[in-house]
Amino acid sequence: MNQRLNLPDWAGRAVACLFGSVVLAMMVGPQQGSQNDYGVGFRQAVLNPRIFYFLLIGVLVFFAITYQDVVRRYASRPGVRPLVAGLLVLLASYFLMRWYDPLGNNAKFAGLADAVASTSGLAPLAKAFFGWLWWVSLVVLVVGIFVAIARRLRALGWAMAGLAVVVGVVALVAHAAAADAGGGIDHSYGAPTALVGYLVLAGAGVLAARSRSETAATREFVERVMAFRPGLPLVLMGLLLGVLALVSATWFAPQQANATLVDTSSLFSGSDASGLSEAFLGWLGYVLFVVVLLAGAAAVWTRNRVVGYVAAGLAAVTILIVLVTLHDISATATEAGYPGADGPWRDLGTGGWLLSIAVFSIGAGAFVAARRAHRPAGADEARGTVTGRLHQAGASTTVLSLALFGIGLALFYPPTATTFWQQALVTDIGVYVLLAIGLNVVIGWAGLLDLGYIAFYALGSYTTAYLTGSLPVQPPSWLQLSPLWAIPVAIAVCLVAGVLLGAPTLRLRGDYLAIVTLGFGEIIRIVAVNNPGNITNGPRGVESAVPHPVIDLGFLRIQWGGNQLQYWYLLLVLLAILIFFFYRLEGSRLGRAWAAVREDEVAAQATGVNTTRVKLLAFAIGASTSGLAGVFFASDIGYFNPQNFILNNSILIVAYVVFGGMGSLTGAIAGAAVLTWLPNFLRDQVPSEDRVMWIGAVLVIMMIFRPQGLIPAKRREAELTGLAGHDPSVRPAVQAVPASEGV
Amino acid sequence: MSTATSSAATSSVGAEDLIFDVRGITLRFGGVTSLDDVTLQMRRGEILAIIGPNGAGKTSLFNSLTGVYTPQEGEILVSARPGDSPQSVLGKKTHVVNHMGVARTFQNIRLFPALTALENVKVGVETRQKSGPVSAMLGLPWQRREERESTRTAYALLERVGLAARANELAGSLAYGEQRRLEIARALATGPGVILLDEPAAGTNPVEKRELAALIEQINAEGVSVLLIEHDMKLVMSVAHRIVVLNFGRRIAEGSPEQIQRDPVVVAAYLGTSEEEAEQELETHDQPELHTIDTSGDPLGHGPAGSGTPEGPRS
Amino acid sequence: MSEFLNFLMLGLTRGSMYALIALGYTLVYGVLQLINFAHSEVFMAGAFGSFLVVHLVVGEGEGLGGFEQLLVTLLGLVAGAISGAVVAFVLERVAYRPLRRRGAPKLAFLISAIGASFFLSQLFGKLFNRLGNNQFPDYLHKGEVLWTPFGARIKLLQVVIIISAVLLMIFLDRLVSGTKLGRGIRATAEDAPTAALMGVDIDRTISRTFIIGGALAGAAGFLFGYAFVFSNTMGFIPGIKAFAAAVLGGIGNIRGAMIGGLLLGVAENLIPTAPWVGGDAWIGQEWTDVVAFVLLILILVFRPTGILGERLGRAA
Repeated sequence: MNQRLNLPDWAGRAVACLFGSVVLAMMVGPQQGSQNDYGVGFRQAVLNPRIFYFLLIGVLVFFAITYQDVVRRYASRPGVRPLVAGLLVLLASYFLMRWYDPLGNNAKFAGLADAVASTSGLAPLAKAFFGWLWWVSLVVLVVGIFVAIARRLRALGWAMAGLAVVVGVVALVAHAAAADAGGGIDHSYGAPTALVGYLVLAGAGVLAARSRSETAATREFVERVMAFRPGLPLVLMGLLLGVLALVSATWFAPQQANATLVDTSSLFSGSDASGLSEAFLGWLGYVLFVVVLLAGAAAVWTRNRVVGYVAAGLAAVTILIVLVTLHDISATATEAGYPGADGPWRDLGTGGWLLSIAVFSIGAGAFVAARRAHRPAGADEARGTVTGRLHQAGASTTVLSLALFGIGLALFYPPTATTFWQQALVTDIGVYVLLAIGLNVVIGWAGLLDLGYIAFYALGSYTTAYLTGSLPVQPPSWLQLSPLWAIPVAIAVCLVAGVLLGAPTLRLRGDYLAIVTLGFGEIIRIVAVNNPGNITNGPRGVESAVPHPVIDLGFLRIQWGGNQLQYWYLLLVLLAILIFFFYRLEGSRLGRAWAAVREDEVAAQATGVNTTRVKLLAFAIGASTSGLAGVFFASDIGYFNPQNFILNNSILIVAYVVFGGMGSLTGAIAGAAVLTWLPNFLRDQVPSEDRVMWIGAVLVIMMIFRPQGLIPAKRREAELTGLAGHDPSVRPAVQAVPASEGV
Repeated sequence: MSTATSSAATSSVGAEDLIFDVRGITLRFGGVTSLDDVTLQMRRGEILAIIGPNGAGKTSLFNSLTGVYTPQEGEILVSARPGDSPQSVLGKKTHVVNHMGVARTFQNIRLFPALTALENVKVGVETRQKSGPVSAMLGLPWQRREERESTRTAYALLERVGLAARANELAGSLAYGEQRRLEIARALATGPGVILLDEPAAGTNPVEKRELAALIEQINAEGVSVLLIEHDMKLVMSVAHRIVVLNFGRRIAEGSPEQIQRDPVVVAAYLGTSEEEAEQELETHDQPELHTIDTSGDPLGHGPAGSGTPEGPRS
Repeated sequence: MSEFLNFLMLGLTRGSMYALIALGYTLVYGVLQLINFAHSEVFMAGAFGSFLVVHLVVGEGEGLGGFEQLLVTLLGLVAGAISGAVVAFVLERVAYRPLRRRGAPKLAFLISAIGASFFLSQLFGKLFNRLGNNQFPDYLHKGEVLWTPFGARIKLLQVVIIISAVLLMIFLDRLVSGTKLGRGIRATAEDAPTAALMGVDIDRTISRTFIIGGALAGAAGFLFGYAFVFSNTMGFIPGIKAFAAAVLGGIGNIRGAMIGGLLLGVAENLIPTAPWVGGDAWIGQEWTDVVAFVLLILILVFRPTGILGERLGRAA
């Protein structure tokens, strides 16, 4: 190449940082161009004094990178990480999260602060907090803790930790006072999140005061805590949540009657509610919680297997009683015509569910302790395989604890969410999690890039619509089915479609397969739009709503469709079954054969693996999962049209799988959950048309800094490092892509 | 054909008991003829070595024998396990040929690096199993039994190649010689009647080479015939019962190690014109310090081949 | 006959634009073995960039003389090419190079590109507008019919597009086969590590490959935007078609991309309307995309590496 001027490194970096801040300026804000003036958006974004804020960010980033040695030296001090984490949590709670739902679009902290400022008669502490205390205290805390860390001032560290706790409690109290004054129903999490943020800051202060070491050892610290008494964090969490549930949370809340447990108890004493419920509200609840807590603590402390299982069992019984009580009081109130009460399971506050989460958490802690207690004996069997080790890692205390807590949340959190989030949870998050774990089989395990995955979802949906008589073409009357019975048919249809598509095309290599599957997906969608022979009713979508499923066993009748929660629990059941199946598949001979084909197809063939069959199986299993998701989606949403099956959705599912960590079940679930939650969350933060832009940015940044995904699979991780150590010809800087990638 | 060819060909063993019966195969790629009318017989129970300079067509022959390539002319019959009736390999897929009892290793190691050593072998064992995805998902009893059997068999095989202690290591993290042995274990896992080893000694050190020779003889003693491509003459001469020499895609000689060492055609093939020099080189395997012939195609032919840099497994 | 010619011209017009975009896919695939999914947004950026310049220069574009029309066309092509090149350059720096440095898995590149594609398309929408019907000033009178051989209507615009595309393709072919940069690109495509050992600066070659591909797509963006309408989401469909065209011709193969693009454009215009069968529509225009994809699938099933086979450096 010709001679050229070589700029010094820092110049390039400076240009990049400033360029980045200009791009950021263009991304932030409501500006938008128009056909009358194409440049207006650009001018508003860039030729405006606010650009200097963004340039300042760019300059800061530039210095942070340039002096990263210094930065890193400070950043590795004990306490800095919790300081940063706490600060981020607090910023998120103050600027991103809702503090008081009834204010609608103004429900964030600033909106509530305005409302508080114009309300008279509030406690002065609340006024002060919303007025100036929140930011003054935040600045004092951050600066103080940083100074304590940097200068190693122990007294200051302790003082800041104490201050952080105090401010956190003040935040909670101030929010409660403001919410009481407003009197509306509030599901917001701003104040509790702020409390968490302040507690993390307090932790940073404590670390600054206590730690003598030069560098932080976060991971070791967490592991030491976990190894000290496995399950202890879960029990402590349960204690915290349980106290909140019993003391301050609302248990019964029709029409602004925010009754805490005590209030609810007096409300229902002498009513038609059963004796058990009344007892529970009056005294049994407290007693049961204390008993479970004690049992859990004993299990965790003694690490005794029997005690652990007993405590877990007690927790289960307690949750059952909580649920019975919740059903009982809501049903009784409705029958008695209590104002605003409209049916069983409705109008319940967060208290009951929070208590369930708390008790579940304690039980889970006891369960973890019990598992740890008898581990050394039975650990031999699965040790020989990566999956075996994966199982071992999965059983490692931290992961197990997190997973159990996640299950607790999945079971008992959704009832407390707003209907908007319940809807999002089922139709966006849940369905796409289902799709992602199916696609994970195809992409993550078998290494086949499928860009037409949504086609099988469409097939599943249309099959359901056909079988339930929602399309212009009616099935023969003997075939008319409820959506539940459509499941096996849809799965079979997708299985066949997967094999029909796969058989001729699966010998194609990666990118060719990608375009062929993409084409297939588009063909299916266009056929649905063009509606040959008036089968699909064209772009308008199905003719009549797909009915909701019903299970009628005579003595037991479950009718879906009342609200999204019912579908949520159906979804949890489906997910649990699929996860169990796929988990077993991954460790089976088929799972190993997939890994073999993905890594080296030639060697796999030479070892006797029928690669075509193995790939077809992956394709078919993925396709049928997609079909199952289609049935679920169709019966949940009722009306759908070809717009639901556009190519973009196929691409997004691939993104979910890779974002989460290819080949890892938990990764696929996490990836899909995060990336489908994000647009719903962004609804409150940015103009809604801009959400896709932000998601795109998140994808790029994630791939730059963590290309292996959120929770990478062990097998995949190994693959990336692969045999490179022995292969002198692999030079990552030169080679565009590791040759080992199967896709 | 050279003089050595005729002597031992068909007399001693029963003519019918052939593992491979390769009749005049010719393999072309575009204008290049990779194998030219190659004929060879491999008898049951023997260790047959194929040698020849680089580009002689050895690996092409392996690929033809295992169904990776289909020669345009000729016929390959295989009867890998005792009692199998001879079947044609031509046009069969690689995994089908493998199921017929032909296992192989690769010149540049091709393991599944992200699986553990044990899992690598299990992949091989499990290609002979029956249980399908449904029984795996449901965890049916026979699937569990097969799983246990596969683990046991795989462990036994690792034991046999001396890798049992490293069963849970990732294949990619094993040392080079260990990877070679693991590949052999994986090939044996499919229960073959014949195993094709493509330069198993490449890149291994003298100690590993001795172990390898012992392993090959042990495998052979257990009733698996061995077809071997190898550049390390010491290894070839010490283990092979018979040797076939290829050059430019043609079979130029066949016979016992002693015959091959004295065959002038072979010597000429290896070292160009100067036959005397070449003869010396071929015989030097007796001398400890210079025991290999360089077959890297370097016409000057000095430097021991075995000490060459290991080839990358995916180069 | 006239109908046939009309549709043939239509197909060639579209096909030559597909080919220009497909070249970008194929060039990048050649050096990186990656599908540059954000390439469609490079194309879109070319349309917006050239629009801003052309709009600035000619306003509503009334009453231009022939020579001025030619100049404006050239200006549009150059402006589109520069916009495309700039976006492609930044794209490579931001969404690809950091991943290469980290040795990221192949799918991570795909996701990064998809993210960049979402980002660019929506950022342009936010800055300029999200409407679907932006139009260039009609300085060429695009409806104008130039010749009517056999009763067909050959338009000036079609001729301009085809000539521009052909010139650009010839230019590229020369560039890749005749210059030092072209040799670098071919060497990198053949074997990046060896090329690096031979003194080819891989990073710079990849960067320039993106720039060349981006310039071609940007020019195509101008032609497409002028011929039809442009919007921030205009890249999606042509992008997929061009990708299909690149694969059809044999991805990584430059002449394959040209042939694939033209073939796809002609086939998707001729087959569904089938003017020679006489009917206005025997399948119907709405099946255009289905025809394109079915054709693609069939060709790949029978020729798994495309019409001309793979690879920039190697002979087919």
